[in-house]
Amino acid sequence: MRKMGFREFLFIVPILLLIGIFSLWPVLQSFTYSFFDFQLNDRTKSGLYLNERFNVDLYKETSLYVDRFISQDMETITGEEDKANAEEVIDQLNSLDEEFDNEEGVITISSEQKKQIEAAYENADSTVQTLADNYELQQEENLPLLVEDIKNSLIESNFIGFQGYKKALQDHFVLDALKHTLVFTFASVALELVLGLGMAMVMNQGIRGKGFIRTTSLIPWAIPTAVAALMWSYLYDGSAGVVAEIFSNIGLLDEPTDLMQTGAGAMTAAILADVWKTTPYMAILLLAGLQNIPGSLYEASSIDGAGRVQNFFRITLPLLKPSILVALLFRTLDAFRIFDLIYVLTGGGPGGSTETLSVYSYKVMFGQTNFGYGSVVVMIMFVCVAIISTIYVKFLGTNIMDRN
Amino acid sequence: MMANNAGAEKKGFGWPFWIMLIFYLVIIVFPFIWILITSFKQTGEIYGNNPFSIIPENPTMQHYADVIMEKGILRAIGNSLIVSGVTTVYIVIVATFAAYAISRFDFRGKNILLGIVLAVSMFPQMIVIGPIYNLFIDLGWTNSYWITLPYSSITLPMAVWILVTHFNQIPLALEESARIDGASAFQTLYKIVFPLAAPGVFTVAIITFITAWNEFVLAITINSNSEYHTVPVAISFLRTQFEILWGQVAAATILVTIPTLVIVLLFQRQIVNGLTQGGVKE
Repeated sequence: MRKMGFREFLFIVPILLLIGIFSLWPVLQSFTYSFFDFQLNDRTKSGLYLNERFNVDLYKETSLYVDRFISQDMETITGEEDKANAEEVIDQLNSLDEEFDNEEGVITISSEQKKQIEAAYENADSTVQTLADNYELQQEENLPLLVEDIKNSLIESNFIGFQGYKKALQDHFVLDALKHTLVFTFASVALELVLGLGMAMVMNQGIRGKGFIRTTSLIPWAIPTAVAALMWSYLYDGSAGVVAEIFSNIGLLDEPTDLMQTGAGAMTAAILADVWKTTPYMAILLLAGLQNIPGSLYEASSIDGAGRVQNFFRITLPLLKPSILVALLFRTLDAFRIFDLIYVLTGGGPGGSTETLSVYSYKVMFGQTNFGYGSVVVMIMFVCVAIISTIYVKFLGTNIMDRN
Repeated sequence: MMANNAGAEKKGFGWPFWIMLIFYLVIIVFPFIWILITSFKQTGEIYGNNPFSIIPENPTMQHYADVIMEKGILRAIGNSLIVSGVTTVYIVIVATFAAYAISRFDFRGKNILLGIVLAVSMFPQMIVIGPIYNLFIDLGWTNSYWITLPYSSITLPMAVWILVTHFNQIPLALEESARIDGASAFQTLYKIVFPLAAPGVFTVAIITFITAWNEFVLAITINSNSEYHTVPVAISFLRTQFEILWGQVAAATILVTIPTLVIVLLFQRQIVNGLTQGGVKE
């Protein structure tokens, strides 16, 4: 094997760039998002702000008016103490004005500066309150609002640490979504495995028309999931859908409309559509494994008097185990991440009863533009996916990596 | 191999076997047949008293005309061809170089690179969508064909994985003799390895194309403008209309399935190879 020099290194530069920018960076970024209250529809939260920030423009404008309005009333304020207080407020505001004289827009400030501004605000607030109580001020209604703006010019950091995770673990939407995801994953993968294995064994018989069966099997897998989902939403439709009609005729449903309008019905419908789409794929993966089992093994066991059932459990299943595990790994992960099918078929409805983690996180991110919390849900999914993969890889042994 | 194990198990399978096979084929094909029938029915009939007749009363091509003229389904097919075509070309090139390096060169971090590739193929696509969306907004790349770049996160891992398996099966001896004759790494790759790896590369191209063609989340999020809708997105928008015209849905489904059908018919052998080598074979 050739050692890697500079020229050889060029071979992997493109993949490093692509994976780095479009796969790894987004993952790290999502991880970062999850620690912030990051919401695009709120201007004070539409970025990742680790530090306190200060809206200098707003502050300068406000302090100008506060200064002017209080000064207007200096004549009216007769009490010595009140006068001194009012002057102190003006002085404080002016000294802050000088401090930020060269700044504009929104800037990052130190915690020391933040305390100064807060102190100025509190002082102004209480003083204006007292003045308003004791005297007839010209701007009695506007002053408190202006003073509030001093506080508003301070923008809090939206770093929230693990609070998003804490919220998510108590959020019944997340827990329900997790439950729906697990139900969907378990039911669809189990059905696909059983039916796929059956079909693989049927296809493994030396029959004519094998090419035709294979082509037919590939079509559901090859068409876009969104297209398949829309097709099934027609077949499942309560008034025009033939599958809903058939189900109700054979007694599975009371009314054809029940299929898409009850939670259990919609979940079943989604599972069946997924089974339709991916069982053939499962069958093809398992067929490849079956074809690697030497026929001589079956011959030998027949001579020893083994029946077909025994053959299945003693030869087929053990030898097929690696293929089954790999197929299960891919299918479990795909089912766990399911988005397109549910999003187009049910939209997560009715009443959120088919909302999976993917669908929920997408709705939080792009429906509510809450990227922070959406990323928390995504990170929870990420952890689940990591757990699922680890379990399968443990079962598989290390032979996935060893092959290379 | 197929022949001898088939022979061993063949005897004894009678009518249950055939019933199962026919049942399977009917279930797979039935939705398509039904959609095809619906696409020729008039709207009144689809919602009417007899919505489940097998033969359309007054066959019409109106739905096809509508989805082509009004719903821009041909434009969506065109967009999908561009996006999937571009993705396929660059992914195949990048993956071929990477897989060759992984298979032939000795370098530190090789297992880490493979591990990352495998991990990327496993993590949920939702995890990249938020940051990619914000990145594209910042760069002004939304509603453009730049979307092909993030498609790498769903297509590249599989492509590399299949190709590494392929290169590992090509004997080293040929390249070594080329090197002794003074060929550079690029020359060896271009003149010796490429021709031998062509079937594998072709398989990867087909699988990549189908994966890109079917992509939904990135496309609907980043290219929300209908001028840049790909097939899955355009189709999904037929559903979210104020009213759902099943006739148009059916006609659109038939139209967009045709390209997929052609690819499957022409390249089923490569597809099956790709699917099984992406998983486990040996």
